[in-house]
Amino acid sequence: MWVLWAVVSTSETAAADRSALDRMAKGDQEGLGEIYDRHGRLVYSLALRILRDQADAEDVVQEVFSQAWTQASRYDATRGSVLGWLLTLARSRAIDRLRGRKTRLEPAPDDNMLGQIPDTGIPADEQLEWAARAAQVRAALEGLTMLQRVAIELAFYEGLTHAEIAERLELPLGTVKTRIRQGLLKLRDRLADSL
Amino acid sequence: MASHDAEHERLQESAGLYVLDALEPAERAAFEAHLRSCEECAAEVRSLRSVAAALPAAAPLVDPPAALRARVMAAATGRQSGSRVVAMTPRPAARTSVFSAGWLSAAALLAISVGLGGYSLSLRQRITGLEADLRDAVARLDRSEQQVAVATRSVASAEARMAVLTAPDLRQVNLAGQTIAPRASGRAFLSRASGLMFTASDLPPLPAGRVYQLWIVTAQAPVSAGLLEVDAGGRVAQRFDTPANLQAPVAIAVTDEPAGGVPAPTGEKYLVGATD
Repeated sequence: MWVLWAVVSTSETAAADRSALDRMAKGDQEGLGEIYDRHGRLVYSLALRILRDQADAEDVVQEVFSQAWTQASRYDATRGSVLGWLLTLARSRAIDRLRGRKTRLEPAPDDNMLGQIPDTGIPADEQLEWAARAAQVRAALEGLTMLQRVAIELAFYEGLTHAEIAERLELPLGTVKTRIRQGLLKLRDRLADSL
Repeated sequence: MASHDAEHERLQESAGLYVLDALEPAERAAFEAHLRSCEECAAEVRSLRSVAAALPAAAPLVDPPAALRARVMAAATGRQSGSRVVAMTPRPAARTSVFSAGWLSAAALLAISVGLGGYSLSLRQRITGLEADLRDAVARLDRSEQQVAVATRSVASAEARMAVLTAPDLRQVNLAGQTIAPRASGRAFLSRASGLMFTASDLPPLPAGRVYQLWIVTAQAPVSAGLLEVDAGGRVAQRFDTPANLQAPVAIAVTDEPAGGVPAPTGEKYLVGATD
């Protein structure tokens, strides 16, 4: 799932990430600090979006960077960007956590979320670049049918399987399968310029 | 290749679920096997992977708490949590100089509106999930209420039987099978205040249009208690109300009568027992 980031991350960032990871592989903590400073916020945001719980999201961030630290030497740059790798780890761990607490009550949505909108501590150009990308993806999602979008989001953010999505939406399995593929193909066409 | 075409036809729709890791294990294995021989699907998977990789950008951007950095560094590098981690790299110098103040506030506004958009998106999705949960809950509640109603009825029936069996004026009457049904037997627990519990076994099946009727025989006349419901094994376990203004019973009897029952016995006696 890392292709996009390989393409859109500036080659400058990608080179810096690879260099930081090389240093991490040799035991240099500065490398880890650098990677965290560059990508910690995105990893945290994705974990928070999936888990909707600040403490759980923080745990996931800690796990992701611990894994990145221990597996830095095994990172394969040809498979994609460092950010893509981190986000894949974050999604996988967040969803494991989400499924683990299925039996517990879902936490209320975080009321502080609006108050936590990024401050200006992030370099403005990175912020703009990210915001522009986010706006494109959101606009593309808005262009899907409700069913396509909800089915894709249930799979991506809730980690539900094919059968679970069908059950949740009270739709036949075949319909869910088709809607998800059609939705992703439409997203691909709409994001064609930025992918 | 015909077999490949058929397989492709069947599996190509799975590409979307595959890149979202949402296929069930067996389906995933089948699709991965197909991918190895189908360049068309492999290409589609590659392109959809980059779409899936773009989805995190739709998540509202939130700053982690400042203390998280130290915790991450300590946990990853095996230092004790809370201790200062030295040699932190400062954030790369922000290249803000190329942006005017106007650009900065535009960026902030964009970030806020984008954050709100994502928030409402996540609320909508949450509502969809909650609506589904609500439907489930209503269905479960409905089933529970039906079960409670059934349980309440059986409790009421059990309580009525208990009332008979624990009544202070309870009398037990054993009924013996008559010539026509020598193996049949019955037992009545009679309370004038609380009713009549009647059990019987080995009652032979009656021809169509005939029923067993239960009688409380008094010095004046037999009074009907009701019709028996006999199961396929010839068994009965029923509760009856005591007929109003009942005289002192002298015997209990079961006779064979026309469907619907009769006011006074006309048919053959199957079971008889005296109240002594």
